[in-house]
Amino acid sequence: MIRNYFKIIWRSIIREKQFTFLNILGLTIGITSCFIIGLYVFDETTYDTFHEKGERIYRINQSHIWGDWNDQYAATGPNVAVALKSDAPEFEKVTRILSVGAQTMRRKNDAKEANIFKEEKSFLAEENFLDVFSFEFVNGNVQTALKEPMSMVITEKTAVRYFGNEDPIGKQLEVRETDGSWNTFTVTAVLANVPNNSHLQFDILISLNTIKERLQNDNWLWAWTGFSTYGVVKEGTNIEALTNKIQLIPPKWASLTTERLFNQPYDEFTDGKEWKLYLQPLKEIYLSDSPGSHLFGPTGKPQFVKLFTAIGILILFLCSINFMNLSTARSSKRAKEVGIRKVLGSERRSLIKQFVLESTIFVAAGTLLGLLLAQLSLSGFNVIADKQLSFMQLLVNPIFIGVVILFILLLGIIAGSYPAFYLSAFRPIETLKGKVTSVFKGKNLRNGLVVFQFTISIALIICAFFVQKQLAYTSSMDLGLVKNNVLQIHNIEQLGNKAETLKAKLEANASFTHIGRSYGIPPNVWSGDKYRAFGPENPALHFTDVRTEGDFLDVLGVEFIAGRNFDPERIPDKYGVVLNEEAVKVLGWGEKENYAQDSPIGKYVAMTTESADKMEVLGVVKDFNFSSTKEKIGPLIILHQDNDWVWNYGRGRTFLAARIDPNIINNSGDLQELIEEVQEEMSQMDPSVLFEYSFMDQEFEETFRSEQRMATVLNIFTLLALIIACLGLFGLAAFSAEQRTKELGIRKVLGAKFSELAMLFSSEFTKLVLISVLLASPIAYLLVDEWLTDFAYRTPIDIWVFGVASLLAVVVTIITVSFQTIKVSRTNPIDSLRTE
Amino acid sequence: MLLQLNNISKWIQSGGQKVFLLKDIDLWVHEGDFISIMGPSGSGKTTLLNVIGMLDDFNQGEYTFLDQSVHTLKEKHRSNLYKQYIGFVFQSYHLIDELTVKENLEMPLLYKKHGGSERKALVADMLDRFNIVGKKDLFPSQLSGGQQQLVGIARALIANPKLILADEPTGNLNSKQGEEIMEIFKELNNEGVTIIQVTHSEKNTSYGSRIINLLDGEVV
Repeated sequence: MIRNYFKIIWRSIIREKQFTFLNILGLTIGITSCFIIGLYVFDETTYDTFHEKGERIYRINQSHIWGDWNDQYAATGPNVAVALKSDAPEFEKVTRILSVGAQTMRRKNDAKEANIFKEEKSFLAEENFLDVFSFEFVNGNVQTALKEPMSMVITEKTAVRYFGNEDPIGKQLEVRETDGSWNTFTVTAVLANVPNNSHLQFDILISLNTIKERLQNDNWLWAWTGFSTYGVVKEGTNIEALTNKIQLIPPKWASLTTERLFNQPYDEFTDGKEWKLYLQPLKEIYLSDSPGSHLFGPTGKPQFVKLFTAIGILILFLCSINFMNLSTARSSKRAKEVGIRKVLGSERRSLIKQFVLESTIFVAAGTLLGLLLAQLSLSGFNVIADKQLSFMQLLVNPIFIGVVILFILLLGIIAGSYPAFYLSAFRPIETLKGKVTSVFKGKNLRNGLVVFQFTISIALIICAFFVQKQLAYTSSMDLGLVKNNVLQIHNIEQLGNKAETLKAKLEANASFTHIGRSYGIPPNVWSGDKYRAFGPENPALHFTDVRTEGDFLDVLGVEFIAGRNFDPERIPDKYGVVLNEEAVKVLGWGEKENYAQDSPIGKYVAMTTESADKMEVLGVVKDFNFSSTKEKIGPLIILHQDNDWVWNYGRGRTFLAARIDPNIINNSGDLQELIEEVQEEMSQMDPSVLFEYSFMDQEFEETFRSEQRMATVLNIFTLLALIIACLGLFGLAAFSAEQRTKELGIRKVLGAKFSELAMLFSSEFTKLVLISVLLASPIAYLLVDEWLTDFAYRTPIDIWVFGVASLLAVVVTIITVSFQTIKVSRTNPIDSLRTE
Repeated sequence: MLLQLNNISKWIQSGGQKVFLLKDIDLWVHEGDFISIMGPSGSGKTTLLNVIGMLDDFNQGEYTFLDQSVHTLKEKHRSNLYKQYIGFVFQSYHLIDELTVKENLEMPLLYKKHGGSERKALVADMLDRFNIVGKKDLFPSQLSGGQQQLVGIARALIANPKLILADEPTGNLNSKQGEEIMEIFKELNNEGVTIIQVTHSEKNTSYGSRIINLLDGEVV
């Protein structure tokens, strides 16, 4: 009997190629999408699950003391760990990791230029770091790895980079200091490459003991927020109680820092705000998004995960609905077979078995094809989404296999049982007479399902439209600076005093119109400090600052609305500042309309209340975007590069920015040549300095990379959802065409024209799609509105987009249905009427 | 006595009124009978045939088949009963399009849970008997109407029924093919198979032994 079923199934697959194709295609597309999305979501939500003590590890975050104190900040000063060790015995261990920025490295005494590398993921880690986290050792051990000063732990791939196949243990690596000298470190351990699903991503760890002395300096132990602090709590610790307890730490410990560094008692520094400490569970770190200054690896976007989970589930819904719709629609064709089988003595049970078996086989085929397709398209998705997903780990996971089988059975049974129960319930005589097709119920159900499908698709289309619109808007908005044609040369700080020579050489090059040096280049101006309008009564506020020189502002092409730029001829300009409009406003000196009466020029900005470090305002520039266009332009203080009153945090990466003359350099060949020229110049000066460059416009684009990625992925899945919905519609139209042949035949006999029939037929579906438009628009509006709140500058939610999306949906509907429309309207009525 | 209908009536409600499809039908069928049911369109011929075949139920009256009262049987028993004793032949053959001749013939045996070798033997027997061995691997669409009806009859016979119900078996065939089919019925009848056919054709009735004329659901 089973063989007989398989035979029938196989032959009807062959016979009804179009149906089989549509049905399996829809399912395959849907399942492919679902698997890929599922894989992505699985990967995103299982970060940091491989640490043995993971359940007990917490990152200690603190209030964002450099910004909005209500926000969490993932970085702390070094002494948070010291305080916890002393005051909170609930912690079994507390460890720290410090970001020091990119470092230039080479194997000891290997001066070959090609063997010098820039290590972006090199951090300083405390002795017990590898005891807290379970990174796998290839060589070396936990006790000694990070113990001694000048010890270095490297990953396997790093080891290969410097030592090839040699055993790296005991060998030495050198790190280039800003002054050009090299510091020697000894490799004490090799770790397996850090797994992709770790929020800590490093290639090199240097023992924190290397900078022991600096950690003893009380002045900035709570202000040097380059550390992440992690603690392992003892088993059974009450986290809430512990959190409450550690709130006592900042007031007790941080006052020394505030007094020495800012000359303020703790209470004055906090100014009524709470300096809080938070305990963030390790497994929540990657997807938490909110704490700023996450320095040691990637962070996920919880909105993306939510969005894609939703899309995945919707697509699964869509394709399941589709499958059921097509299956039921087609099953009416099978009514005759059911009738014959019943007359020949088939029991209802065996008919149900047959239909369920059939649909299960379809689902299984679609699923397997879907898996295959997912595997094939995964590498493409990895590129678009910047992930390293792999199926292999899942294919051997029994839970995954179980879920797949469950899915196949579930959808197979659900999709198969409707026609099975429905058709098998008929008396054979009715099905044989062909009554079933004309009374076949569930039309409302099927229409409802189509409306549901199109509602989802149209909502997705509208959202995708707005995402594109927003991205176009942000990339074309007026930044207040000219971002095109700016070449940025990196690692200038390593050239030391030869930087000036390089600058002079570039200035001599006619291809450049302006050259300027800066410690930060838009959109990557992040550093900041507390400044005040000079005067004891004025509050210290957080400002973004950037060290640069007058030439750099010329390169950017920012507009001065008051005062002047730095002048290299005037020595006192070293302690002058240029502000942006916003900074003037924040300092309480009014808007630019008031400058005429009360000019900010000549006023003073200071870090402390002492008059020794007051800095004169030389000029005010129009607001320009110096970080991402996602954020509103904040107050910015532009310092002179030689200003030694203001503490220069970090290692002071320096750039040369050069504005290229587009009249001279107007094709990529010339550009390439120019870049090589600059590289040559730099390498002649000091071959040990890495030549790296970027373009400002590309860097601005870069700030939207995750959004761009999301947009691309969203577009793809929107298209897929639309295709699935269309397949469903196509199937439904075919079904309806079959049902309505008689009616349309009669109309034709009575004199209806082709166009009238076509209109009549397609209006049935257009109506459904219009209902979908009505349902989808408010849903999409809410989603888009929500998404746009992330951006400081928003594209307006224009009605026309809804119109265009609706029009698109209607056009797609008409095209999809048109095949059937044409077929139906052209049939000779005699054929359709004779069947009775 | 093979079957007996007493006072069978069947009606539908239309606009608050009973419309009789069958009214007070009394019918006795003995084994070996060859009965033709005649009457104009809408007179209830097919309905009567379906009632006899247990494919349709009735509202009133008694139906006894081989001493079992059909009207009191449960659906399942009823279907077992007709599965075992009744074969159907249709005007439009009703073969399964996706199955070959051989497989179509095999189908009723599958539902009766015959073993594989037994099925093979029975199918071969039938193919032989109807001279369609050469067509066994063809699909219905590859056969002429007469040939399809031949398969239909073979399929009806394969489970060795006592009664064959034929609903205008020659209705879709030309006269020559029709005659051939009627000859086969005649032969079967001579072998002892009871046959009830619905027909429009006077000529076809001549093959049978009894004629029942229906008009508006009543025997006239």
